[in-house]
Amino acid sequence: MLQITLGIVTSVGGFLEIGSVTTAAQAGARFGYQLLWAIALGTICLIFLVEMSGRLAAVSKHTVVDAMRERFGFPFFFIVCVGIVVVAFMVLVAELGGIGFGLQILTGIGFPWWAVPISFVVWLLMWKGTFGLIENGASLLGLVTLSFLFAAFRLHPSWSSAGAALIPSMPQSGKAQYGFIAVSIIGASISPYLMYFYSSGAIEDKWDRTYIPINRFIAGFGMTFGGVLSIAVLIASALALQPNGILVDTFPQAALLMTTALPKWGFYLFAVSMIFACFGAALEISLAIAYFFAQGFGWNWSEDLEPSKNARYAFVYTIIIMLAAIPLVLGVDPIKVTVISMALTSATLPLAIVPFLFLMNDPIYLGKYRNGWISNTVVAIIILMSFVLAVISIPLQIIGG
Amino acid sequence: MDAALSWVGTAGMAGDAWLRHTTPDKYTRQTLDLSGQTLLQIGRDLRKSPRPAIDNAMIDTALARSRSHIARMSRLVVEKNAPDFRTQLDSLRQDQKLVKQLADSIEASSK
Repeated sequence: MLQITLGIVTSVGGFLEIGSVTTAAQAGARFGYQLLWAIALGTICLIFLVEMSGRLAAVSKHTVVDAMRERFGFPFFFIVCVGIVVVAFMVLVAELGGIGFGLQILTGIGFPWWAVPISFVVWLLMWKGTFGLIENGASLLGLVTLSFLFAAFRLHPSWSSAGAALIPSMPQSGKAQYGFIAVSIIGASISPYLMYFYSSGAIEDKWDRTYIPINRFIAGFGMTFGGVLSIAVLIASALALQPNGILVDTFPQAALLMTTALPKWGFYLFAVSMIFACFGAALEISLAIAYFFAQGFGWNWSEDLEPSKNARYAFVYTIIIMLAAIPLVLGVDPIKVTVISMALTSATLPLAIVPFLFLMNDPIYLGKYRNGWISNTVVAIIILMSFVLAVISIPLQIIGG
Repeated sequence: MDAALSWVGTAGMAGDAWLRHTTPDKYTRQTLDLSGQTLLQIGRDLRKSPRPAIDNAMIDTALARSRSHIARMSRLVVEKNAPDFRTQLDSLRQDQKLVKQLADSIEASSK
């Protein structure tokens, strides 16, 4: 059962962080249930990608980054590295800002003041903690986000309307905004760093071929867990914020999400959920970036090793976390960073997914555990979609963002 | 006008939550102040943009009245004066209806 925590913590980074909560809340507030299909689509894509990255690690004992560098060479890895790390860094800034925002609405002290203490706590946990502690701790804390699901149920949604919204449809007005939010939801869901984190986690947890069925379950359960909670945020927003005409442009507006469904505790549950979820996501992204560098450059890496035994790996997350605090101290709005980073995630998707398809069909790495036709069809669709997203995300950000 | 409606709605919802004693005073005040400032900016932006078939003075009045109620509500949070706060909130709700009507008229005229 404890292995499920890897799925939940990966899911927290993918769905229950500032980006997904903000976009789901914006989607519900502006378009009601109409964008539920985008979350469902993102969840299905992520289940497949995460399952594949876990399978690759369990069979080949390679992480995705490790295998990518070995298979395609260092120059190719370096190009991917630049794209992915820039976007992941922006997401880290947004997550640290999300924790700061949560503390701001609870205490009234502005988020820039929280940037340094928060970054220090994240760094300290990385420095002192083990992978198991981070994995289990973030998963347990992330469970508070179940309050979103409870809130959605308390608002008595129309399940038939929600079901109908799983089929994409166009709104009568605000088409550019609708497209932008749809792209952002998918971009926030299929974040490449999740695959890198999950495959590294599988190596940290010493998975082998016997874990293949468990991996399938963890990927399915974990990502569905996140997807369902993201859907709950959208539904709660559609039923609580849309009737008041609130469009969720800022974090204090999002904080009102659960005050209708849970009048007594809704506000505090939202703040605590955001703090814990963004904290889990910040740890996950910091780990993913450090793993990415260490595996790509062939350094020692493991969260379970003393920092002195993998000094360059520890140096990367130390620097990255320090740098991520700077924009927040300067008062850069994390919501704006989130919006830009999600569109950029969509734009960089082909860089991550195309080489992944080759790896997942390589008999040297996977032998008889290579992708079957179902997985290959899904990845091909994701690649096609990622190219479309890459082309339209920036123009949509300009028109609809 | 959608943005104006959004911020009037935000102030109203934050006000409701404060009356139920379910949000901290600081959050309520900050949110009300932010709503007021944003409405001021929205009003300025709306004056610059063409608004066919809609009475500009009506929009300005509705937004100014909303801002005034919100500013008073913010002060009443400091004084912890719930009865007067409720009166201001009721007036803001009336203004919210007017802003909604204006927003609907603008949307209808732009189609």
